[in-house]
Amino acid sequence: MGTAVTEAEPTERDGEPVGTINVFDPHPLNWLFITWNTMEEPIRTDHDGYITMALAESATWRDETSLEVKVRPGVRFQDGAPCTAHSIKNDFDEVQTWAAPHPPGTHLNFHPDSQCVVEDDLTCVFRFPEPDGLILGKFRGFHIASPSFWQTHGFGYKKTGSGEGHW
Amino acid sequence: MIDAPGPWGTGPFTLVEGHSSIDTVMAIQRVRPEFVATNLITGEDRTPRVVLEANREHNSGRTARLERVVFLNDLSPAEALDAVCDREGEIDIVTEVSPADAGRVQDSEHARLVTIDANRMLTGVFNAYESNDAPLHDVRMREALNWAVDRHRIAEEAFGGYAVPLAALTPTWCNGAKADLEPRRRDPARAKELAEAAGWPQGRALRIAGDGSLEGIARMIAADVEDALGIASEIIVVPPEQMVAGARALVEKKLVLPWDVLLNPWFDLSSDNPAAFVHREFFGHDGGFRAGPVDPEFDRIFGELARTIDADRSRALAEEIDRYVYEQSKALFLCAPNALYAVNRHVEFKAYRATFELADTEVSSNHWSRREG
Repeated sequence: MGTAVTEAEPTERDGEPVGTINVFDPHPLNWLFITWNTMEEPIRTDHDGYITMALAESATWRDETSLEVKVRPGVRFQDGAPCTAHSIKNDFDEVQTWAAPHPPGTHLNFHPDSQCVVEDDLTCVFRFPEPDGLILGKFRGFHIASPSFWQTHGFGYKKTGSGEGHW
Repeated sequence: MIDAPGPWGTGPFTLVEGHSSIDTVMAIQRVRPEFVATNLITGEDRTPRVVLEANREHNSGRTARLERVVFLNDLSPAEALDAVCDREGEIDIVTEVSPADAGRVQDSEHARLVTIDANRMLTGVFNAYESNDAPLHDVRMREALNWAVDRHRIAEEAFGGYAVPLAALTPTWCNGAKADLEPRRRDPARAKELAEAAGWPQGRALRIAGDGSLEGIARMIAADVEDALGIASEIIVVPPEQMVAGARALVEKKLVLPWDVLLNPWFDLSSDNPAAFVHREFFGHDGGFRAGPVDPEFDRIFGELARTIDADRSRALAEEIDRYVYEQSKALFLCAPNALYAVNRHVEFKAYRATFELADTEVSSNHWSRREG
């Protein structure tokens, strides 16, 4: 078996979003799919599942323990607030507050002694106590949210009083 | 996860109505020398409707092509399938279509079937603790079971062909797959020889556990084991109300596990490094699904992989890990089920291996929403 058994009829597109679809998705990860469709992470995955840049324009190792992340220019949150390297650091500091923020397993956790340093509005550098060859994959669970989100709901903050297990 | 609608993100859609969240309970794996814990999903918290609208300010090539996506959560799977197959204007995409319903979708007037080799793995976790009187700590017994079970038949019959037999845990399309690592073809004689060398306790049944949806596959495995090894099986269907406790016992590793083989579906978030999210979870020292003593050799290879930032070296180590778990028969390797979707014929939807993404989904001018609009 492979991809796409039959072809849909051709669609045309004039650049503006058009149409409504209704979806029934009983998948137990629907909560994550909603998050991924509405928030961004530094990286995402393409159709084949391979990592590609998303909110990050690039991610480059400066040395074995320093990863430079350039943020895509001109990004704004849906409420109009700018999304910059400061947003990345803010969300990093939030997630590092918690021992087990992610529901599925410990793999997505950053090393507790990692740091995120902002160099300018579009550049931040992640510094790790030891090389982290799995960091790009971990970025898949690193959802970047607006300041208003953190001030009102956070990941579980309002609903459960904690971010543990609610990222 | 997001508990309330709002303009929270920068993604291609904005969550404008409802929420889809989960409830979790923490499972503590270790408290010393450092605290390690994970979380288990105990329930879903979804509103009947979850509505996404295009974020017109999104500034990447991932800009939404649809104006609106409505997730409907107050239907049964059967009702949803009826709606997409038999009518228009109610449901446009149904995910998680059962292979048993694939033919109906293909034959339907309004829907087509979209499938993809997805990053999903169905695996049997071996209870390999020394304390288990079933000798699954012995690689010969684990290998015997891997030769005894017909994973190709399971893929063909249990999944209607909508699954790919696996050699180990890395699907062929993922980074770290070894081209020369073939899924084992059932070999009862080889299985019997290995099992006799390992020595199975006389009269001891093989205890195979799984949730109700996997009972049929458990029975196929049991029949293969009985046929090849003369070992009877006890099928343990875990009721829904006991799933969380059972999973917590597995993750926390303090209580005696009541099974020998646990059928455990899992997934991967990307195709880049299955060892990180899959192999480590099953066999690593901090893996939630590890059901046996810590494996220093696995941890050695994985530890090097985790510290490697060179892509070529990383790939080589990922291949080494998959080969190691294959040669050690660290689990009962079965298959990678496809993801199946029923999609309205006026909707262009391209499936993703590791997510359910809708930014590049679009509808033709014949779609009900455009005709009505």
